[in-house]
Amino acid sequence: MKLAPVDYFILALYFVFVLGIGWRLRKTVSTSGDFLLSGRSVPVWITSLAFIAANLGAQELIGMSASGAKYGIMTAHFYWLGAIPAILFMGLFMMPFYYGSKARSVPEYLKLRYDEKTRAFNAFTFAVMTIFSSGISMYALGLLLRLVLGWDFSTSVWCTAAIVLAYTFLGGLTSAIYNEVLQFLLIVAGFSPLAILSVVKAGGWSGMAARFHQMILPSGMGGDVMVHAWGYMGKASENPMGVELFGMVAGLGFVLSFGYWCTNFLVVQRAMAAKDMSAARRTPLIGAFPKMFIPFIVIVPGVAAVVLSRMGIGYNLPLKNGGFDYDQVITTLMAKFYPAGMLGVGLTGLMASFMSGMAGNVTAFNTVWTYDIYQSYIRKDAPDNHYLTVGRVTTIVGVVLSIGAAYLAQSYNNIMDLLQLVFGFVNAPLFATFLLGMFWKRSTGHGAFTGLVSGTIAATLTWGLTVAEGKGGIFGVVHTFPSTMAQNFWIAIMAFSTCLLFTIIVGLMTQPKKETELEGLVYGLTKIPHDPHAKWYEQPVTLAVLVAIVLIILNIWFA
Amino acid sequence: MDLRVPSGWFFTLLGVILLGMGLFAPGTRAELTEANVNLYGGAVMLVFGIVLLLLARRATQKG
Repeated sequence: MKLAPVDYFILALYFVFVLGIGWRLRKTVSTSGDFLLSGRSVPVWITSLAFIAANLGAQELIGMSASGAKYGIMTAHFYWLGAIPAILFMGLFMMPFYYGSKARSVPEYLKLRYDEKTRAFNAFTFAVMTIFSSGISMYALGLLLRLVLGWDFSTSVWCTAAIVLAYTFLGGLTSAIYNEVLQFLLIVAGFSPLAILSVVKAGGWSGMAARFHQMILPSGMGGDVMVHAWGYMGKASENPMGVELFGMVAGLGFVLSFGYWCTNFLVVQRAMAAKDMSAARRTPLIGAFPKMFIPFIVIVPGVAAVVLSRMGIGYNLPLKNGGFDYDQVITTLMAKFYPAGMLGVGLTGLMASFMSGMAGNVTAFNTVWTYDIYQSYIRKDAPDNHYLTVGRVTTIVGVVLSIGAAYLAQSYNNIMDLLQLVFGFVNAPLFATFLLGMFWKRSTGHGAFTGLVSGTIAATLTWGLTVAEGKGGIFGVVHTFPSTMAQNFWIAIMAFSTCLLFTIIVGLMTQPKKETELEGLVYGLTKIPHDPHAKWYEQPVTLAVLVAIVLIILNIWFA
Repeated sequence: MDLRVPSGWFFTLLGVILLGMGLFAPGTRAELTEANVNLYGGAVMLVFGIVLLLLARRATQKG
């Protein structure tokens, strides 16, 4: 792919704007709360879009279009079965406790609700995880830019990291959030024309379905599986993901998605920055509207790419080592459909997604490090100014560490796979801890901690005792899964159930906190706010019902 | 800061650049499409940018 001067100009223009926003917002920061929590003053439409954008990193864009080409429209389950129901649950039922508890972070909520060790467990694993996920996504971007444009890996990594550092250092979380909104708009502007052009060229959705109908995929399956999200869910062997209905609904739809959207501080932080409780609850619910339609701009072009590659019009799926390199689908499509000018916008959109993902990780890392680790275990009673400085320094350290992680990923690809696996083990049981913490006042700190540890062990055992695509099974083989995806979903299910069980058992055997200490933290001891000033369309329930209706229509349409 | 102002300016500028390309260099086409992508894309971005700026202006006038 060759870029024209106008494309570079558009990229430069975007850099000027993100840095400019950071520069303008530098004056809003005078306390650690302004820097790390945005002083809880951001308008709701901004927090809503940032809520979605922080999760829409480069890895998500590249990975989802790759999965679109690999698995077809089934990939949309990550949104229509996974993310959206979880987001609705978070806005309706969990946000009142997060926002109402006055906790500054998710680990701090655990400290208030349970005890110190549960917080420490969550804070440390989360801090390490954010650094590595930001590094891995940086690596993915650097690799792609080198492959597609021939840019030097180090130059692209250092330059983009420097820009993210500059604007988060200047304006803190507010600057990250404001830029995430601009980035989100740019991603939509840069990617939606590609979806339209590629689908039109492939004959529209019905034309694509007709071509798939006569197609045999490389896997030997009929092409129909590519255009049905639910039609082939009955048996694992009949769909390209190799997952059966229960594993999909319980593993992805329930455990993994709820675990991510309801407990990951990276996204929860955006909602917590809203100006009041009602805005905090509306943040995920409003964000759910654009989120539902993201499959159309990230997954659908991938599906279209498969059709285009069979039409003999000069488009081929990118290859690597004899197989398909699905990660390059989105950029090869851009090269074929975007002229100079629009190509600059598309590429800038990709850069923007990377930056929003990275800034999300860095700002979440900042807050958890400063409040949950530094202020809790290193220096307790310093003046606020001290924590502001710590927050700023942590921004630099966080960025430098993620660059380090990017190089680590470049040299030891396998270490990264292993780390992501381990994080999966640690994350999978978390939702059980929060669910019981928020809705069962009898659950205790000892119970929660035992649950988390046993859930992590259960996840490790499930992985160690089963095999999928030749992976896992280091302790012996009890069961063989048809795909690693099915294995991941079942690891999550086992971890969640074990954590739930142990938290309940140990909770019943240990002394619960007094009810007065649990006010604002647990269902039944918290006044769920009713905002009488909110108009009917601003009520959380109205928004949730609207989202649910559209969601059901989408699921039926693409069933 | 009203975020609609910088976002509005950004998309207005993008729109002007692409629309300009579409009008004055209509031969700039991609391999797989006959559409003047810059022209249409630029027009949509320009309109979007102006709408954001108008919304921001209305908000300040209301006080």
